[in-house]
Amino acid sequence: MNLFIIFISAAIVNNFVLAYFLGICPFVGVSNKTSSAVSMGMATTFVMVVTAIVSYLIFAFVLVPFKLEFLQIPSFILVIASLVQFVEMVIKKVSQPLYRALGIFLPLITTNCAILGLALFISMREYNLMESVVFGFGAGVGFTLALTLMAGIREELELADVPKGFQGAPITLIVAGILAMAFMGFAGII
Amino acid sequence: MKTVIQMLVVLTAIGLISGGLLFQISSWADPMIAVNKQKATEEAIYIVQPEGKSYEKVSADGFEGYKVFGGNKDLIGYAFVYEGNGFQGKIRIMIGIQPDLSKISFIEILEQSETPGLGTKVTEEPFKNKFKGLNSKANIGWVKEGASPKDNEIIAITGATISSKAVVAIIDSGLKKLRTLKEGGKL
Amino acid sequence: MKKQVSLTKEFVKGIWEINPTFKQLLGFCPTLAVTVSAMNGIAMALATTFVLIFSSLIISLIRKLIPGQVRIATYIVIIATFVTIVDLVMKAKFPELSKSLGPFIPLIVVNCVILGRAEAFASKNNPLRSFLDALGNGLGILLVLTVLGGIREILGSRMIFGAPILPDSFEPWIIMILPAGAFLTLGLLLGFSNTLTERKKRLERESLLNKYRPAKAVTEVKEGGAA
Repeated sequence: MNLFIIFISAAIVNNFVLAYFLGICPFVGVSNKTSSAVSMGMATTFVMVVTAIVSYLIFAFVLVPFKLEFLQIPSFILVIASLVQFVEMVIKKVSQPLYRALGIFLPLITTNCAILGLALFISMREYNLMESVVFGFGAGVGFTLALTLMAGIREELELADVPKGFQGAPITLIVAGILAMAFMGFAGII
Repeated sequence: MKTVIQMLVVLTAIGLISGGLLFQISSWADPMIAVNKQKATEEAIYIVQPEGKSYEKVSADGFEGYKVFGGNKDLIGYAFVYEGNGFQGKIRIMIGIQPDLSKISFIEILEQSETPGLGTKVTEEPFKNKFKGLNSKANIGWVKEGASPKDNEIIAITGATISSKAVVAIIDSGLKKLRTLKEGGKL
Repeated sequence: MKKQVSLTKEFVKGIWEINPTFKQLLGFCPTLAVTVSAMNGIAMALATTFVLIFSSLIISLIRKLIPGQVRIATYIVIIATFVTIVDLVMKAKFPELSKSLGPFIPLIVVNCVILGRAEAFASKNNPLRSFLDALGNGLGILLVLTVLGGIREILGSRMIFGAPILPDSFEPWIIMILPAGAFLTLGLLLGFSNTLTERKKRLERESLLNKYRPAKAVTEVKEGGAA
């Protein structure tokens, strides 16, 4: 039950993009086509789950026992950067179609603050391994959801007569604001 | 080959320098952070037990509480921290209570992430004051605005019913825990 | 490559001309998250500027020693070090502020502005220029975060810097201090700033056009050249 709450909370109620503003850069950048939004979301979800596991292990078995908590930020960010590289290599070896689908998005993920945010939340909220995995998966699902919804709306916006100065990032942010309002309706279900 | 060595040397050097620097700074900052934390707890204890002059930490079964003493070292009550789910996230509350657990002295919300402007009203004085002197011999409860509360009930805030309910529920389960500990002679 | 650019220009350009938020569209996460009040915005901007200045300075100083293949990793370690310093100092000296900025201080690491300036500027320029560039960009961030925080604080809680300025009869727009309000405010500000820039460009073009109106042929050449 607790795991279920963590999942729902990360995916919907406290959506990383719409409530915590994490991962806005790819959100504004990649959310103009539904197909690439879904691929990006899947790649991010995958990296998030792996990051959740690895950062939990590092925090619980290296940083805390050796009293090195102050190295948290550098070690997490390095882990994420090397993890993304590693995942890219593995996917390339294992599955060419998957690599073609996700490949170009992987390098972008390193600078996605949602991943670092996830690692920091896990250590801050003292989740155990299982909770970390569920939290990572939920956050990924939430990110994919926000990105895909946004892409769907932006595809429609192409046909709308948006004032010149508001095209691109401004209208995306305004639509995100409206989406965030809609997501507020989910508050209170946990 | 030369670049590989250069890469290794540069990375190692940077890693060592930054690790050393951070170690220095954290050993300077850590005691202060600990003091800040303790000061915050202390302040909260004296908010919920205004007559308190000194306190002593008690812990049993993973429960964090404080015995609060008055001017002449007499026990004037307990203060303890309890947490639970609110509307959107965790709420952490410091609760002050009489020595015989019959009445709540005061409460202080330590952490919350309720809706600003609505749920956050539970952190404001008018709401917290409702708990002053609340009968806590048995369960505590809440009623909606307009109804007349008994001496163990508070009136929930209109527009923030869920947050109010959550605060009541957290305090209630905290009290339950405290009562079992007291009956078990662990305090 | 940028030798002809004056030092003043190097400093001033970050404030508006290449403003990190409005023009480079970078670093939205902290911009949106912490700006529930003007004070929070300023604190976050100062923390970011501190990291930006010191990491730019260090990176510029050792830019010739860093092998190209590992430069990003090196930059990230340097940035992460300064962010941890800020985080620890804030927790030790300003516990209240650190509590309200919450987990967003560590996230300065992945603020694309800092890595962006390191890669695009500090790695190619001398320390003095890098310092001025970082300072200018930092002020640009400060400007945006203060304005955004101020607007949200005034409309969302009737106050500015914690002091009430709107009458009690004004019902606060709670939406402004919620996440949705952050998106809407930044979207509108960005839209207006773009519209202004467009307008300015058009006016400049028109005045240029008017200047050369008598000689029609010249105008066309000029216009073609400008575009």
